[in-house]
Amino acid sequence: MTKTVTLLVGTKKGLFQLKSDADRKKWALEGPYGNPAPIHHASFDPRDQSMYAAINSTWGGSRLEYSRDLGKTWTVSKNPAFPAGADRTFYQTWHIEPGHPKTPNVVWAGTEPAALFKSEDRGETWSLNTALDDQPSRKEWVPGFGGMGLHSIAIDAADPKFMQVGISVGGVYTTKDGGASWTRDNAQKGGPADRPDVFGCIHKLLAHPKTSGVRFMRVHLEVYWRDPGETTWTFRTPGLPSNFGFAAAIHPHDAKTAWCIPLDDAKRTAKEPGIAVYKTTDRGATWTRQDAGLPKGAPLESLREGMDNDDFDDVGVYFGTANGDVYASRDEGKSWERIWQYLPYVTSVHAATIV
Amino acid sequence: MITVLLHGAWRNFAGGAREVRLDAPTLRGVLEGLVAAHPSLRERLRDEHGKLRPHLALFVNDEDARLLGGEDATLKDGDIVHVIPALSGGNIEPSDVRAVVITRVVFS
Repeated sequence: MTKTVTLLVGTKKGLFQLKSDADRKKWALEGPYGNPAPIHHASFDPRDQSMYAAINSTWGGSRLEYSRDLGKTWTVSKNPAFPAGADRTFYQTWHIEPGHPKTPNVVWAGTEPAALFKSEDRGETWSLNTALDDQPSRKEWVPGFGGMGLHSIAIDAADPKFMQVGISVGGVYTTKDGGASWTRDNAQKGGPADRPDVFGCIHKLLAHPKTSGVRFMRVHLEVYWRDPGETTWTFRTPGLPSNFGFAAAIHPHDAKTAWCIPLDDAKRTAKEPGIAVYKTTDRGATWTRQDAGLPKGAPLESLREGMDNDDFDDVGVYFGTANGDVYASRDEGKSWERIWQYLPYVTSVHAATIV
Repeated sequence: MITVLLHGAWRNFAGGAREVRLDAPTLRGVLEGLVAAHPSLRERLRDEHGKLRPHLALFVNDEDARLLGGEDATLKDGDIVHVIPALSGGNIEPSDVRAVVITRVVFS
């Protein structure tokens, strides 16, 4: 069956869709939807072809919306909400993660203030995960530069009850019972000797979609890898040009391969000689710079949700930048081309492979 | 009879409605009546704990409602209540919003 790809491109002024056929050479733009609201994240659910969008509006409060017709029309969900008596108020959504294929109606959302919400009706209503919220260590969570959000929801490929969440700044928590209980999961090996853990400022945590137990994690000043059965994070930063960064993606068919975009820690943009994607094919042991086709010397920036890949046999990799560009590679990063420009500040790119 | 005029984004939230007419003795009653007329406004006006959202400006005639007692402001027949997206912008958090300054507003 023919595949097509739609990039859900969240920006600071609404949600755009970039659509292409199986060749992924010509792209057509639709949108924006929801502008002027910033869109922290939008995602596609391959289980039922729903789309979800975090419409983080200033006016009238942020909304979580869903579409059942591939983005033609959108419906406002019953928003995530903290229960009566809670010390916090829902402010905005940072990430929407479709659940495991074995739990067909489940969708997860990470919010600011940092909390995990679960929907059991395909995103129409949401309930707070109280086990995580009741963690005594929650009092240690603090806001990062962008606020205090739960932004990463990594669901294991084989076991829907085995998940991690990443919080800025609150670290990693793991559940093996579907969210009924959580444990802090920050122990590292091979990293800085002056501290035993990965540091609480998680930037992006990904689960491999097909290989159980594989995780790739972008932390404020490092990257880490975890293989099946491991209970610590292996330091995998050497070989990158800088410690800092946000955007990351993991190869859907090869559990040893991933990409990330390093940034300058102080400037928060790409270091000299300009924006580049770094690829590993050996679980982060080594990294290769990939910048063919990218603008030379450009100090671009790609945010936490700014990078994704499709599910084609020859995997397409995509990222958006703060100056409104979207770049694509059809050869797993060897070469890149700018497929769109002049969008508003790109906050997220999600590649929907539509069959 | 009180006339409620919806401005800007608030019209979209109410499905395109521009005006609602209702009877209520206070601004709180007006907002309750507004939600009864347009239930989609309930979560737009208030957060999950019932607090009015930030970036919402309410005027009674040409007075900022906060200067009239907020939701307890008493209304009389013929008053006009304006529901307005508060002018704001930039990269700030709601908690940083100290005031919304409107020196003169002309409603049409």
